[in-house]
Amino acid sequence: MDAAIRADAAALTDRRRTPSIEALADTIEDRLALDVQGEALYLLLAPDGKKLAGNLENWPSEANAEQPWIRMPLLRDGLVSEARILRLDVDGGHRLLVGRDVAEKLRLRGLLSEGIAWAASASAAIALFGAWGLRRALERRMAPVYGTAEAIAAGNLSQRVPLSDRDDEFDRLGRTMNAMLDRIAQLMEGVRGVSDAIAHDLRTPIARARAKLEEALAGARDEEALRAAVEQGIADLDGIARVFQAVLRIAEVEAGARRAAFAPVDLAPALADVAELYGAVAEAREQKLVADLPTSLPIVGDRDLLMQAVVNLLDNALKFTPEGGSVRLSAEMSPGLVEIAVADDGPGLPPEDKARAGERFFRADAARSTPGSGLGLSLVRAVAALHGGGVALGDTHPGEARPGLTVTLRLPVG
Amino acid sequence: MRLSVALLPLMLATPVRAEPPLSVTTDSSAYCEELAIRVTNQPAARQDAVRNLAEEGQRLCDTGHVRTGIAKLRRALRAAQGMGG
Repeated sequence: MDAAIRADAAALTDRRRTPSIEALADTIEDRLALDVQGEALYLLLAPDGKKLAGNLENWPSEANAEQPWIRMPLLRDGLVSEARILRLDVDGGHRLLVGRDVAEKLRLRGLLSEGIAWAASASAAIALFGAWGLRRALERRMAPVYGTAEAIAAGNLSQRVPLSDRDDEFDRLGRTMNAMLDRIAQLMEGVRGVSDAIAHDLRTPIARARAKLEEALAGARDEEALRAAVEQGIADLDGIARVFQAVLRIAEVEAGARRAAFAPVDLAPALADVAELYGAVAEAREQKLVADLPTSLPIVGDRDLLMQAVVNLLDNALKFTPEGGSVRLSAEMSPGLVEIAVADDGPGLPPEDKARAGERFFRADAARSTPGSGLGLSLVRAVAALHGGGVALGDTHPGEARPGLTVTLRLPVG
Repeated sequence: MRLSVALLPLMLATPVRAEPPLSVTTDSSAYCEELAIRVTNQPAARQDAVRNLAEEGQRLCDTGHVRTGIAKLRRALRAAQGMGG
């Protein structure tokens, strides 16, 4: 508004348009005559205070102040509105007021402000109501999840999130939580099983080592005998340490910590090396190791772990194969899958033992007399699972009195 | 009594506007007449559009709707000047 007034005043006092006071007075009257909005305010006074043109009744005393801009109440049709006025000094002591009635603008501004206030209030009310409703709905749908989490925090690990038949995102959350809880329960069960197994299976070798040392302490005749007993004790303790190491290694593999070491690797040369090494071991025991390997077995995985798994299988196979028997190491590649099989001529496993083989510290009755910790196949299973594969147990000679055992390690190529 | 005492500093602080509000001389019947004469003096005053607006403005002024009448007469004057080139 001030800019419009300033432009109007500049045009009026432009010498080219209004070269004289009379011309200025005529221009003012013309402008007033054409002011359809009825907002324009003018007053032109002669030096003696005589009104020459304009529609303001008198010169307000406030217009004599130092500031050229003034704001004053304006009476129109008995209603008080507001005027914004600029004072100018014209040549020869003439004085000019140029202004606008800003009542309409103020009213419009008031209407807009009121409208914005109402709209903002309504939006805020709707938003609050919506937020309240949304919160209630969320609370209602999340209540089963909270209930389950609280029950589990209180120690009831069997509690699961009840699912509705809506199959929405809350049901998906519930299903995910249930799967997570199942997995945690399974892991805890595993930990409990391992703890029990460690307590049970390591008690015997520790007690045996202790008994030997005690016996040597009480009955050793000379230093030589005592030294032999101590060496035997150290060897027994080393064996126990190896069992612990194997348990830790299985735990590490199962935790997936070794996945970072995965790389493309060709297993064929590595298997050939293992076959050569264990061929010599087999010969020493009057056994025969037959290798049937392809020229190439590309896979993505951890080479050391895979070889450890194969070595464990060969160890087991040679251990349970009688003199003169043979062990067969074979591998083949089908689309997307690598199969490595170790078959022996041993006594084999009954079906119920096959199901349990691979549990930590599990040893079949027939194997009680052979040395071992019952952890070899556990590691094989953990390595296979780490690579996204599995282990299958079958008979080498089905239907025969000594069916033997074939353990097949199945690994996906990708 | 207590309220007036409490409001006294406020009353003293507020500047008293002694001057009455400004009034406008162009919201009068006399200005209606002046505008009507201006319209009549225009070369295009006899054009229908101009004449209708001027007559309507005059009628509104006569029936007491001075500001509306003045607005119509101003429109008539604009129309006349626009037609007159």
